[in-house]
Amino acid sequence: MRTLPFLLALAVLGVGCGSDAASGTSGWVWDLPEGIPEPRVPEDNPMTTAKVELGRFLFFDKRLSGNETQSCGTCHEQALAFTDGLALAEGSTGQIHPRSSMSIANSAYAASLTWANDVLVRLERQALVPMFGEDPVELGLANMEEELLERLRDDELYPEMFSEAFPNQPDPINLDGITKAIAAFQRSITSFKSRYDRWQAGDPTSLNESEQRGLALFLGGPNAAGVEDAFECFHCHGGFLFSQASDDAGQVFDQKFFMNNGLYNLDEDGSYPPGNEGIFDMTGDPADKGRFKPPSLRNIGLTAPYMHDGSIATLEEVLDHYARGGRLIEEGPNAGDGALNPNKSSLVSGFQMTEQEKADIIAFLNALTDEDLLTNPAYSDPFAAE
Amino acid sequence: MKKFGITGLALVSLIASCGDSESGAGGDGGAGGEPGAGGDGGAGGASAVAIEFEAVVGDELFVCGETYDNLGANDTSLELSDLRFYVQDVELVTASGDAVQLNMDESEWQLPNLALLDFEDGCGDLGNEPTNRTISGTIASGDYVGIRFKMGVPFTENHENPSVAPSPLNLTSMHWNWQGGYKFLRIDSGSVSPTDWRMHLGSTACDGDPASGGTTMCANPNRVDVELPTFDPATDVVVFDFAALVDGAALDVNQEGTPVGCMAGPMDSDCAPLFDNLGLAFGGSVPVGPQTVFSVLQGATLPQ
Repeated sequence: MRTLPFLLALAVLGVGCGSDAASGTSGWVWDLPEGIPEPRVPEDNPMTTAKVELGRFLFFDKRLSGNETQSCGTCHEQALAFTDGLALAEGSTGQIHPRSSMSIANSAYAASLTWANDVLVRLERQALVPMFGEDPVELGLANMEEELLERLRDDELYPEMFSEAFPNQPDPINLDGITKAIAAFQRSITSFKSRYDRWQAGDPTSLNESEQRGLALFLGGPNAAGVEDAFECFHCHGGFLFSQASDDAGQVFDQKFFMNNGLYNLDEDGSYPPGNEGIFDMTGDPADKGRFKPPSLRNIGLTAPYMHDGSIATLEEVLDHYARGGRLIEEGPNAGDGALNPNKSSLVSGFQMTEQEKADIIAFLNALTDEDLLTNPAYSDPFAAE
Repeated sequence: MKKFGITGLALVSLIASCGDSESGAGGDGGAGGEPGAGGDGGAGGASAVAIEFEAVVGDELFVCGETYDNLGANDTSLELSDLRFYVQDVELVTASGDAVQLNMDESEWQLPNLALLDFEDGCGDLGNEPTNRTISGTIASGDYVGIRFKMGVPFTENHENPSVAPSPLNLTSMHWNWQGGYKFLRIDSGSVSPTDWRMHLGSTACDGDPASGGTTMCANPNRVDVELPTFDPATDVVVFDFAALVDGAALDVNQEGTPVGCMAGPMDSDCAPLFDNLGLAFGGSVPVGPQTVFSVLQGATLPQ
């Protein structure tokens, strides 16, 4: 599984630039290591440095909430790999979201967006959900589109930034431009500079022995009991994204998928807590109860608490959950044995795991953290210093 | 509170004369070429038509912000703060049963096959002042005795990018982004908070294709078929009755873990009686019958 492509130096290219970058019409150069495909970019929203920079400002601008208290960046903090550390996100009006904020790093590669939604396959369209959604209220901008545009038109910087990002439009400050710029910024946030990536690029010193053992176990190597592929991790969390639900520029097929991992089992239908049952909430098909997208495991060491509802606090407990083949909740409104959930994936069948194996796998997962992501000024909050 | 009656309605209706030259050229049954030759019964020409709509709650007119009593199965009171819906595929029907499409005029309320009817006047936070109770357009001249239409947004328009959509598809309060489409029907009560009864209806269980970016199907289209066999466009009004919509629904009860009211979730049993009244399939069932929410008020008088 380990590949040895050309050395690291070959793979690292500068972002964007060129003398015509300021005009907003320059070509975009992806900063991707060897072996990582370019993301799919919609034809009507090509990447430019000017657009990405505009998107960065919009992403972190609190004027993009109805009451000007939150920005996209409120729930997607760079220092936490663009999550918020909360079990459940809190919207601008205080409404608690039923789900946990997801990392937006590498969201350009997500086959579908959010935890469980069949229809959201473009960042431009997804951005409208937190902006204008009413249930739950996130940024709380429903029916405030004109006021939002006025706020941006009255700004000192935005008129010029929009003109540079959308050079041929007479009136570029509009909803389409906002969502395109934010999407372009999000697409630009790639994260492939972890120690694991250096290992992939051929640096044998980048992973220590424990991490290497963890990697081997993750990829299906035999465990201490002699069982091959005991942990089954990569079937859902495989590929360059560590999520099989990945998409890229060369991808022909629809790779989005949703799995039940045995977190809950409230009744004979395998129900999850009501109102938060995965794609069942969209389809109404009982077989879809508890089916969520397997998220990317990149930067997973920074994105606790875990699962769609933040109901598992640590990676240790996550592994315990999978070792048991599902979670047992003994009492309370959510009581039930998730291991017996009728919709549970057959891949979540439980396994024997020594303490050393557990430590090794967690060590490996932490080696998926990309420190550069957390401090890269290209992804940072431009209002932070104010 | 205003009582609803025939005399309380100001009507505009069939204007039996020429269509404009752009939209009057033929229509479905027209002989082509010759715009506006027909009045009533004129063959081969096109006539301008205005279809009037009104919203009521039982025997009272809908007034944004008013409180209505004795609603649903448990005689609940609701302060209604929004009522808007889209209409597509408007056809008038002749005595022999032929359905002829109305070509809608384009305006801030209308696209060629889509209109927004808006009965709220900005009394709620997510509304606005302008209202619209009329669908206007041209149709091949003829004797029409009935009407049919769908409450909905045509599939193509429903799934295109709302950020660049023309009016009346550019209202973010009618967008339904997490479902990848529009709210065909929006009704709110109270302060439009999560604890207030609301109904938002649109297509559900839609898919998305990561490669193309588009939606190819929705398992639950949820477009409401309305057929009103006795309707004279010159004198009659299409009536949306909120009381009929919630007939039999326990508005003071909410299935745990679901939105208060009905956001068209196929798992939300609170939706079942509302879907029944709209003639929609709910949760995989077949419709119990045709819709009972829309009806015709007959014999209203033409304006002077």
